[in-house]
Amino acid sequence: MPIIEASGLTKTFRRPDKREGLGGSIAHLFTRRFTDHVAVDHVDLTVEPGEAVAYVGPNGAGKSTTVKLLTGILVPSSGEVRVAGVVPHRERTANARQIGVLFGQRTQLWWDLPVRESLALLRDLYDVTDADYRARLAEFDHILGIGELLPVVARKLSLGQRMRADLAAALLHRPRVVYLDEPTIGLDIAVKDRVRAFLRELCADGTTLMLTTHDLGDIEDVCQRIVIIDEGRIIFDGSIAQVKDSFARQRQLHVDFTQTVPRAKLAELLPGAEIEGDARAFTIGFDRFTHTAAEVMTALLAAGEVADFRLDEPAIEDVIRRVYAGDLDLAA
Amino acid sequence: MKKYMTLAKMQARAVLAYRLNFVLSLFALMFQLFAMLAIWGVLLGSGQNLNGFDWAHMKAYLLVGFLCGALVSQSADWRMAGRIQDGMVAIDLTKPVDYQKAQFATVVGGAWTEVVTALAVCAGVIAWTGAVPTPGWQGAALFALSLLAVLPLKFLIVYVSALACFYTQNYLGVHWARLVIVSLFSGALVPLSFFPEWVQQLAAVLPFASMSATPALIWIGQLRGAQALLMIAAQFGWVVALWLAARLIFRHAIKRVTIHGG
Repeated sequence: MPIIEASGLTKTFRRPDKREGLGGSIAHLFTRRFTDHVAVDHVDLTVEPGEAVAYVGPNGAGKSTTVKLLTGILVPSSGEVRVAGVVPHRERTANARQIGVLFGQRTQLWWDLPVRESLALLRDLYDVTDADYRARLAEFDHILGIGELLPVVARKLSLGQRMRADLAAALLHRPRVVYLDEPTIGLDIAVKDRVRAFLRELCADGTTLMLTTHDLGDIEDVCQRIVIIDEGRIIFDGSIAQVKDSFARQRQLHVDFTQTVPRAKLAELLPGAEIEGDARAFTIGFDRFTHTAAEVMTALLAAGEVADFRLDEPAIEDVIRRVYAGDLDLAA
Repeated sequence: MKKYMTLAKMQARAVLAYRLNFVLSLFALMFQLFAMLAIWGVLLGSGQNLNGFDWAHMKAYLLVGFLCGALVSQSADWRMAGRIQDGMVAIDLTKPVDYQKAQFATVVGGAWTEVVTALAVCAGVIAWTGAVPTPGWQGAALFALSLLAVLPLKFLIVYVSALACFYTQNYLGVHWARLVIVSLFSGALVPLSFFPEWVQQLAAVLPFASMSATPALIWIGQLRGAQALLMIAAQFGWVVALWLAARLIFRHAIKRVTIHGG
């Protein structure tokens, strides 16, 4: 039984059509013209409990609009949506009880009060028992180190500290579904790792995660599934391993020889590989399903004495970059 | 209920961070009060009586008007509008609370600074210009009841005008329009009995007189007994009507939420 179900989900915004300059603005007062802008276009999405889904796409693709539709903030123009059996925009408060939301760009902490107060308010808002609240705080202190942040006024927190406190705030009531928008933005590498480990644990415990992020490390470390949206439409939905196997096959071996090696010789030894460079330094691109690194290495050693080499693994990052740039059509 | 109490308590503490902001915003209201006191002082100062107002009663009337004007003023006003404008409303909407009740709880929580500051200003004016007439215990009880209705009423007027931010970017315009309408029809600056007949008739069917004139007239004894009770009933009637109207407006406004950029 899926926990998130959306079908044909569509959100259209009306955008005023103003012509250039003051004249255009004045003309708009009399003849108001609008164009419909489809931010989310017939999105179908099913997410099972305990899944961690990366929801990615270039800026303005409709990611956060989708999240706002799922959280009940926005009312869809058409289509159906259900989260754990609740229609979010119709039963907003019922939906709010079972979800946790983090908007990385905004804080839900009370700016002028110590973090502890914001968390205590959330305890009351979600009817968390005192015992559970204390246990939760201890847990957050262990993973996110928020103990030291509790007495600090939110306004005085650094970005990284604020994000940790905001994560605690979003997860305090043990929500069944968690929407995280850029959860590791501004965090240093050590904290990032801890946050990601925490998110993995959360998933293992059966929490459903939906992550919108530009940080591809978040995706690879936390999620099993990736949904790519562009111009309001889902253009890919599948497992991360599948994306890698289909589109991130190209490994690169950078090699330095002790003496000059003719490029033609390498081409002869390695049919089907892409060879760049000349003289002593080369980059060999090869498909990890047709050649093993050992095969390539053996061929290189036959060509000359190798001084140094380095192997680049394909990253999901390259795939997504190519999709955004329009070089790769995953649907095809 | 507990959650709304906690919200109110939080805001009661948070407003302390905006002391200066609040005092500054109160200055505008204070200048208005002083200007009105000066004008009426000249008109009534030498013992005249206009429309049943002598100088002491007029002073009391204006001070009550000032107290009502200070309630749910600047800070609550801009906070509610600002959260809608900058998209923070998105976070409020993901909480398991009724939006309107939550906003009301926050306003109630923040109101204590407004009351304390306004009372301090009133005390200062009295110390400076001399005592004002006080109602008997019966009048005082009616006054307290009437004043109690002012808080939700003002909240609702301000809340509804803040909801306009779902439709327009220009809250300043809405804010000023509301200020002008409220100060005219609430009788806070000039008692409504000084206006032409048609203005009085219009004011009688609008909710604004309930926000200031009613408690002020009860304090100075122009509204008594059954008549006062009737006007207080009207105040609470407006609270209920506006509460329901605000719900309808919110239901419509929420469909227009367009929070862009994250």
